[in-house]
Amino acid sequence: MAHRFFRDRSQAEDAAQETFLKAFAQMKSFAGLGSMEGWLTRIATNTCLNILRAAKRRPELVTSDLGDNETEWLERVSDSSRAQPLDAEQKVIAVDLAERLLESLQPEDRLALTMIDGEGASVNEVAEVTGWSESKVKVRAFRARKKARAALEKLLGHRG
Amino acid sequence: MKDIHIVDILDNAPLADLSASELRTIEAHAATCADCARAFEAASISALLIKSRTSEAAEHTLNANPFFETRVLAAWREQQASVGAWSFGRLWNATGAIVASMAATTAALAVLTFVAPANNATNQQIAAVVPYSAETVVLDQDQDDNQLTNDQVINAIYADDDEGK
Repeated sequence: MAHRFFRDRSQAEDAAQETFLKAFAQMKSFAGLGSMEGWLTRIATNTCLNILRAAKRRPELVTSDLGDNETEWLERVSDSSRAQPLDAEQKVIAVDLAERLLESLQPEDRLALTMIDGEGASVNEVAEVTGWSESKVKVRAFRARKKARAALEKLLGHRG
Repeated sequence: MKDIHIVDILDNAPLADLSASELRTIEAHAATCADCARAFEAASISALLIKSRTSEAAEHTLNANPFFETRVLAAWREQQASVGAWSFGRLWNATGAIVASMAATTAALAVLTFVAPANNATNQQIAAVVPYSAETVVLDQDQDDNQLTNDQVINAIYADDDEGK
């Protein structure tokens, strides 16, 4: 769960530790009727969202921040047919770029986009994990897609 | 069709979830609209990036032992049961004396309320059957004696006068 939010292993481990500490402290609030996994997932989600909110760092993805390899990657991907699989090196570049793209989004938008577009989760599943209403999940995902698309359009526009 | 921009379709749902007809609509429009063509390209790259990021995260995901949840839940239930018993014991230790004394007082009051009035009723019934108590009889006898004595005294006083007349 923490890896959804943090690519850095130590950050993900910190979030996981905090999750288990909170779960231990709030053990009395667990009624024992529902799934423990679901209960822990919700605590983990809220913990990760809080960490990201506290960071308050949403650097905009701009062309000047792109490395040569990232610019090359963008050119290659946009010029070639989209179905082409990425090799290991390209995957690393793609994940770096994706991380920076996600960092520019609000934590809630990021979660909705990652779960729905990345993992193929349904709106209902995201609502269960987060405790949000389905309409909020839809709005968050819509906004995240729009922002991510706009950021990439900007990069592609500058490149062109 | 050319005038309807496709950005809303792109933002409404994941690209992978779009139907074949929606994709045909997008491609047809993108062929004639440069802005939408760029939007479609950006959306495609965005989807590719997000997929790459989540597949990498999935590789790092640690799967817990399948029995983990069962074991944790069993331990939790056991703890809950012991906590429940311990709470009752602690409550009894703290309030046992006062609860016991209150129970004893209540029992005593119940005895006085329901048993003692029954005894009084029996005495009253006896009193109703026997209208004169031994004391009354004795006192009455005294009164009679006094009255007789007084009469005798009066008679004795005035008897001399009557005899003198």
